[in-house]
Amino acid sequence: MRKRILWILVLVLLLAGGLVWAQKAKVTFFWALYDGLTEEYRASLQDAFMAANPSIDVDIVPIQWDLMQEKMTTSVAGGQPPELCVIGTRWLLDLMSTDSVLEVDKVVSKKTLDNIAAGAMEAKIQGKLMGLPIAAGARIMTVNNDITRVVPKTMEELRAEAKRVSKPPQTYGLIMPGKKHTELTDFCYYLYAAGGDYFAKNADGSWGKAVFNNPAGVKALQFMVDMATKDKITQEGYLGLTRMDSHPIFYEGRAAYVMIGAWVESAMKQANSKFKAQYVQIPPFAGQKPASLIITDSIAIFKKARYTKEAGQFLDFFYQDQWKAKFDELVGFPPVTVSAAKLPQFQSPLYQALGQAAMTAKGWPLIEEWAEVSDIIWDANVKAFLGQMSPKAALDEAAAKVNRARGM
Amino acid sequence: MRDFRAAATIPLRQRLWNPEARLAYLLLAPAVILLLGFMIYPVVYVFLISLFRTNKLAQLKEFAGLKNFVYQFTDKEFWQITARSLYWTAIAVAVKAVLGMIVALLLNVKYAGRKVARMLFIVPWASAVPISSILWRWVYHPEYGLLNATLKATGLWANPPTWLGMPLPAFTACIWVDIWIGIPFMALVFLAGMQAISEDLYESASLDGVNGLQKFFYITLPGIRHLVLIATLLSCLWTFNDFNTIYILTRGGPAGATDILITKLYKNAFEFLKFSPAAVMAVVTFFILTGLAIAYARIYFRQEQGQ
Repeated sequence: MRKRILWILVLVLLLAGGLVWAQKAKVTFFWALYDGLTEEYRASLQDAFMAANPSIDVDIVPIQWDLMQEKMTTSVAGGQPPELCVIGTRWLLDLMSTDSVLEVDKVVSKKTLDNIAAGAMEAKIQGKLMGLPIAAGARIMTVNNDITRVVPKTMEELRAEAKRVSKPPQTYGLIMPGKKHTELTDFCYYLYAAGGDYFAKNADGSWGKAVFNNPAGVKALQFMVDMATKDKITQEGYLGLTRMDSHPIFYEGRAAYVMIGAWVESAMKQANSKFKAQYVQIPPFAGQKPASLIITDSIAIFKKARYTKEAGQFLDFFYQDQWKAKFDELVGFPPVTVSAAKLPQFQSPLYQALGQAAMTAKGWPLIEEWAEVSDIIWDANVKAFLGQMSPKAALDEAAAKVNRARGM
Repeated sequence: MRDFRAAATIPLRQRLWNPEARLAYLLLAPAVILLLGFMIYPVVYVFLISLFRTNKLAQLKEFAGLKNFVYQFTDKEFWQITARSLYWTAIAVAVKAVLGMIVALLLNVKYAGRKVARMLFIVPWASAVPISSILWRWVYHPEYGLLNATLKATGLWANPPTWLGMPLPAFTACIWVDIWIGIPFMALVFLAGMQAISEDLYESASLDGVNGLQKFFYITLPGIRHLVLIATLLSCLWTFNDFNTIYILTRGGPAGATDILITKLYKNAFEFLKFSPAAVMAVVTFFILTGLAIAYARIYFRQEQGQ
């Protein structure tokens, strides 16, 4: 009897082992749900790759952008990372500090890499490409031409024109979210436009102590506070509205100006906007040079994932114009591949404006603690909006907190 | 008695390792393994994290002793958040208990449509908290929200506040949603207790000329005392850890005005990837809630013994 049980056990083990051995490679891809991206596209990409590569399964898992970092962190910490994940490029530093990510050129073909625009390679850190750029877009301003045709050359002109056309609650001069959301974009537009920056640059190129509380930073925040509280030209209840809540007011045609990203055209199409939109540059403050914000996202490949080679094959497939250009078109980002950038659909006024903005745009400072820094500065902004503190006092307090959080 | 004496003479080893005991161990093993794996291990690991420096994946890197605790305890914001967690819980549970009691009394009265009313009252509790919170976020929306539109249209409040954008209104708005979701639980528990009280007591009280208020304080309330204790204890534990409502409505804002320990803990762990401060907050939460549970248990058992 015992012998029989033993034989059965051996057979079961052999069968299980055989099943594992015969299992198809499976690439899991944590896929960010960008505005404009459709389920139909995700499914068709998945099916097309599997049809072309019958020995590989791919599971493209759609995830809300706000939840992506948590989902990725818990998967990596749990020892079960996906093969691929869309990340904010700035997250790479955290991932590199734990030796979690693989250099892209180890699995992605040279042909694919040669087709990526050099300017999109923000993920090249210390000479190594740690993430494959998936989206890179500078921020621009969109003007509702049904309300105004004035294209302001400076922030001061923008404020004057927004004030002139603002007739709340029917029409607002400018959309400005006042409730914290994932990114600290809004303060950044004004900070960069005032010639400011977040941190001092050390001699070795690293980021030093906080400087966003210097006169440029204070000028930027004071300007935002004045527009919202003195001029009252921003949308009503701006303190309770995030970017996602407030941009629809612009799409509805009830605001003259909005500072926004590449998704504006597809979002307006989805919202069935009826007005004529004009895409222009975010103006600098008088006496300053234009400087917009550019944000890049990348695809990370995880070292501990099982099928990294197959993940590379998938990326080679995805980065063909047939798929990647369609992706860019859906999400509205300017293409990161050289070949797609030449396609006719990317020669529109929107892409021209985005291209022009990219020439002078700056990215976020690449620091490990960016998420916390961003949260602290957001709180400082809100304290100033609420009148709890002056912009200078709020930014000084935030700078001290940021330096403490970074151990400086 | 003889059996006990006989059992006492059996060696300990034999008592703990005999065929019957072995079967018991085997049957208990799955539950013990699950308990160890999914409850004890995470709790122990959180305690460990609080004493170590960790990397961005919560892996222990360097022993820090009590440094993580000292760092938090010297931070003014930590104490503000802890105090807010306590009064958030106290206010919410008190209001839930009072309103829950009123609702239970109303549902306990015999009238046509009582069953429908009972069913409808369960809806907020039966719905998923995130869904209720998202619905309320829309109700509070400054541009399209039902609340402000109603207040303005009826002339009750010409300039209502931006509910989720200002500190006091945001706190009030969050706590109201927590209360709204929690009332049905309280009401149902109280109602169950009320229905177990004998009608005879009320009838004889009526014959003695006792009024409604006196009946409530001398019959109903003492009759459901134990249930009130248990329901409020459970509500305290849930309310103290009510992450969903606050995170969905305000994410702890504006400027941290609605952050409680559980939301700040989440931010530290999953947004800032700072697991040690998050673990310190989890440990503090653990002790506060354990202390609360022990205090309740002592009161409960003291009352049991007194009876």
